[in-house]
Amino acid sequence: MKLFKNKTFLLFLPAGAFLIIPFYGFLYAVIQSLGGEGFTHYHEILNSERFLSSVWFSIRTAGIATILSIILGLGFTKWFYPLLTHTSHRVMVWIPMLFPHFVWGYMIILLLSETGWMAQAFTAAGWLEDRSNFPVWTRDPQGIGIIITYVWKEVPLVILLLFPVYASIRPEYYALVDSLGGNAWHRFTTVDLPNLLPVLVESFLIIFSFTLAAYEVPALIGTTFPEMISVLGYEWFYGSSWDDRPLAFAAMVLTSLFLLILTLVGYFILSRPRWRAMRGNRP
Amino acid sequence: MIRKKAWFLILTLLLFVIPLTALLLQSLSAPWRFHTGQGLDWGWQGYAILFENPQLWEATFISIGIGFAVLFMNVTIGLFTGKALVSYAYRGKAWLEALLLSPILIPSLAIAMGLHLFMIRIGLADTIWGVMLIHLVPTVPYSIKIFHNSYQQMGKAMMEQPHILGAGFWTQVFTVELPLLRPAIRSLTFLTIVISLSQYALTAIIGGGRVLTLPLVFFPFLDNANTSIMAAFSIWFALIPLSMYIIIEVLMMFLPYSRLPWRNHR
Repeated sequence: MKLFKNKTFLLFLPAGAFLIIPFYGFLYAVIQSLGGEGFTHYHEILNSERFLSSVWFSIRTAGIATILSIILGLGFTKWFYPLLTHTSHRVMVWIPMLFPHFVWGYMIILLLSETGWMAQAFTAAGWLEDRSNFPVWTRDPQGIGIIITYVWKEVPLVILLLFPVYASIRPEYYALVDSLGGNAWHRFTTVDLPNLLPVLVESFLIIFSFTLAAYEVPALIGTTFPEMISVLGYEWFYGSSWDDRPLAFAAMVLTSLFLLILTLVGYFILSRPRWRAMRGNRP
Repeated sequence: MIRKKAWFLILTLLLFVIPLTALLLQSLSAPWRFHTGQGLDWGWQGYAILFENPQLWEATFISIGIGFAVLFMNVTIGLFTGKALVSYAYRGKAWLEALLLSPILIPSLAIAMGLHLFMIRIGLADTIWGVMLIHLVPTVPYSIKIFHNSYQQMGKAMMEQPHILGAGFWTQVFTVELPLLRPAIRSLTFLTIVISLSQYALTAIIGGGRVLTLPLVFFPFLDNANTSIMAAFSIWFALIPLSMYIIIEVLMMFLPYSRLPWRNHR
């Protein structure tokens, strides 16, 4: 079987060649963030009020958006997965996936801004005296617009990822829990959760790292202060002075390291023997 | 069950179908002013003004070109790697999968900024080729996952049989695997094109503003276009993946063992 082994190795070549792009890029970002001056740039941004408030704002906003998306997506899939077997139903749920994130963000502005459709409709219906009384949900300092855009856009993705798992759970397991006297909570924790956990952790990591570091939506629907880390990094990168460039690299490298540590923790949790045992003999 | 279905329909209509319909209606009428008691004022102005912009057509063709190239490379890399992952059964496979997923976990902004100088040095900055390469970063990990799952569902026996019957590597790919991978290619088409159309920052950094794709036209448009035009532009963004999906569907008819609609079949 030595030949087969070699062939398998050849099959990995395109992926290996592809991985050079992100890893080389990341390595270069690290090198440029150091800039031959050691950790001075890291020291500088870690003492910068603007950077620290941006980090807090990013983690808070991305965290809320991710957790909400996962909870809502999980609830939706758990409740409706028998209905989702119809293609037409799935197509309706996946409408937001047809649009880029920033286009959906623009739709949120159309819908929820102070001059938007909702404000107009409520004023016309007499529920609001004036459109300016409509709450500020877009370009707001709380990041509400960003959160709404991401949740609306990511819930279909969570459904897409969780649906195959729910479809593959054998109903006999629920019957087993019932016959042993378990309730709905037991059904969820002993049957659903062990099957779902790998996908849930992976979805969390994918969505969190995307919402934390994507530029387009916060640039469109966020404010200038506080700003997401990606907007700050982009500004430093293209800013008026070249001196800020190493700061952009340092900020993005720190974000990457944070996400890599989070990923390691996620995989560590998943490989704990208790969860593997509960998933049964599935690889 | 009927109540559940009613809830499902109410939720999906409210959250997904009605926003899309509203966007469609807005693109076909003058900007809405409901608070003044006005109704809808129908017209094609939104699309007419949008299509008058010569940048829009240039950007559309460039975006589609990049989309097809990125899709082709995704299918190639995804197919080989998915196949390799199912043939590979050793320890450390979970870590290998994590490694292959990592490009979407590292912020793509960091990668693009890091590659910028390198791209200038090898002459790929400000070119369509550089943009295609950088668009692989947020798409390929998904392709690998999708193809890996499909190959797993296909099962090992399906891959061993053609081997036993003496088919070469490429014969096996074209006559057995690709026809069975059709659903995977469909989802990949949507995913890749939409992700590629979503990249403003990556395209702006690597393309240097010279490679004009649709997001690079959309963002400056926001400041000086009315809602009808912007709604039409938003719909335009959804029409591109849809039309490319149709093209891919037609191309897939030429795969072996496809049911051709103009042939009789039982």
